[in-house]
Amino acid sequence: MPTRHLIIGAGTAGLNAIRTIREEDGGASEITLVSAERPYSRMVLPYYLGKTIAESHVFTATPASLAAWNVKTHIGRRAAKLDPSQRALTLDDGAKLEYDDCLIATGSRAAKPPVPGADGPGVHCFWTLDEARAVIAGVTPGSRVVMVGAGFIAFTILNAILSRGAKLTIVEVAPRILPRMVDAACAEIVQHWLERHGVTLRTGATLTKIEDKGGARKLHFKKGAPLTADVVIMATGIRTNLEWLRGSGIELADDGQGGILVDDHLRTNVKSVYAAGDVARTRNLVTGAAEVHAIEPTAQEHGRVVGANMAGRDLAYRGSLLMNIVEVCHLDVASFGQWDDPKADVYTAVRPAQSQYRKLLFHGGRLTGAMICGPANDIWTTNDVGMLKGLVYSGVDLSAWKAHLKKNPFDVKPAFMATRTTAALLPQTILGRPSRSPELPQTVVK
Amino acid sequence: MQTGTFQPSKSVIRVSPFEGYTSYAPYTCTQCAEGWCMTACPVGAIRINAAGAKDVVDDTCVGCKLCTIACPYGTMFYDADTLKAYKCNLCEGAPACAEACPTQAITFEETAPADWLGDFAVERTAQVLAREVA
Repeated sequence: MPTRHLIIGAGTAGLNAIRTIREEDGGASEITLVSAERPYSRMVLPYYLGKTIAESHVFTATPASLAAWNVKTHIGRRAAKLDPSQRALTLDDGAKLEYDDCLIATGSRAAKPPVPGADGPGVHCFWTLDEARAVIAGVTPGSRVVMVGAGFIAFTILNAILSRGAKLTIVEVAPRILPRMVDAACAEIVQHWLERHGVTLRTGATLTKIEDKGGARKLHFKKGAPLTADVVIMATGIRTNLEWLRGSGIELADDGQGGILVDDHLRTNVKSVYAAGDVARTRNLVTGAAEVHAIEPTAQEHGRVVGANMAGRDLAYRGSLLMNIVEVCHLDVASFGQWDDPKADVYTAVRPAQSQYRKLLFHGGRLTGAMICGPANDIWTTNDVGMLKGLVYSGVDLSAWKAHLKKNPFDVKPAFMATRTTAALLPQTILGRPSRSPELPQTVVK
Repeated sequence: MQTGTFQPSKSVIRVSPFEGYTSYAPYTCTQCAEGWCMTACPVGAIRINAAGAKDVVDDTCVGCKLCTIACPYGTMFYDADTLKAYKCNLCEGAPACAEACPTQAITFEETAPADWLGDFAVERTAQVLAREVA
């Protein structure tokens, strides 16, 4: 009897697992996919909001492509109860699915703060396709948009809201913007840049209440004047979707908010159950600590490693590098690794007139974190973004270059090349083999 | 070439200066086995073309820049005019840079990906580093 794989969740982790199983086994196993939503990429929803792509562009798999991969689907259904001892999953409609091994990749959802009025009309999150549709319907030329939260998610949709002709105000409870992605010096550069581009920012603002007044929203704060908005977008963080696993015997950290505990093969405490993406707690590549990294590249790597292991490979995951990039009004902002480490040797440089900032963090000769900010039309910025990732990811010995980089944190290119970082990186692959092109595997048998 | 324009700032092969701009070395995508750009793309917009090179499918790319932080070599670029990522695709097997180079500093051969510049960079930066330490 062919092995029965059950994939719970059709996000980045789930779909990468399916693709990898098919790359490895050519269609020999049974795959069943359970997903509350049709498979689409949250990463590209901002471009749908910004009207540069059609809605059809967001979907990452179609009924036809899943059929071509020989995947049975339960779309629109949620996982309700896992019974690892019986190797069975019960769905929210009562249906019971049996498996030989299963992947938990149920991801995260947007979380709103417990503020009166947060569930009222005209108040949206921007996480799911349905939420994106609601925001698209509400944000029209001249409309007043208030975004609550100045983190990564808010910044990914900032350009799109401006491109729709709306007037944008961002409020943030922390004393500065992007508190979990950049340091205070970089935040200041980004804040000035945005203010020059017509965005109003208010930091240190604690939202206390949203009133629905005559078709508009009135936002009240602990301090300062209230704000009036046609549309309110809550970008106030995410929560992992793990409540349904309580009592299943699968070990969770911090009641699920710390993710599922997994080994280096992404297996939970029950060996036939894997976890990947936002719900999995894996090794931080730089520090070695077990952490949840709720970012797209980590979900992709997790999904592929799990897919290979489900298909019979014996593959350990090296670890996840925390990284983010966002472009706001043609300013690139990116950070890698441990950019907020008080124990590191920290070298920074700023060119205020050009809105450029660099930060390099070292432990001995190893670059453990980096930050880069600069206008997107500067030809060398993206070049250095990639090289900084390579230096942090490879952990090459930069001892000989430390003094040079301390004097000029902008000059990473000769250091990258002369430490033979390319040679260190070339043999490294996530799956221990060359990656395949993302077209459907041609060898799938039905 | 790749962007259909004559604009050196958009070139996918970058010449890096060494020793205070007295020597230069061309640097471009090695077409690595992992294909970090390709596996990172959330919409499958980077594929392997007939020449074996990773190539951006323009109609599919949304311009999210994830490939630019995924690529650890700094050889993924973003075109602010078209709002798309772009990279070296080996010109579908006949690289224009190799054809144009008058000194054969760039040649095109079928071979495994390798660190072409490491030794050169070590040699050409040795003096600079020695002066700084002194």
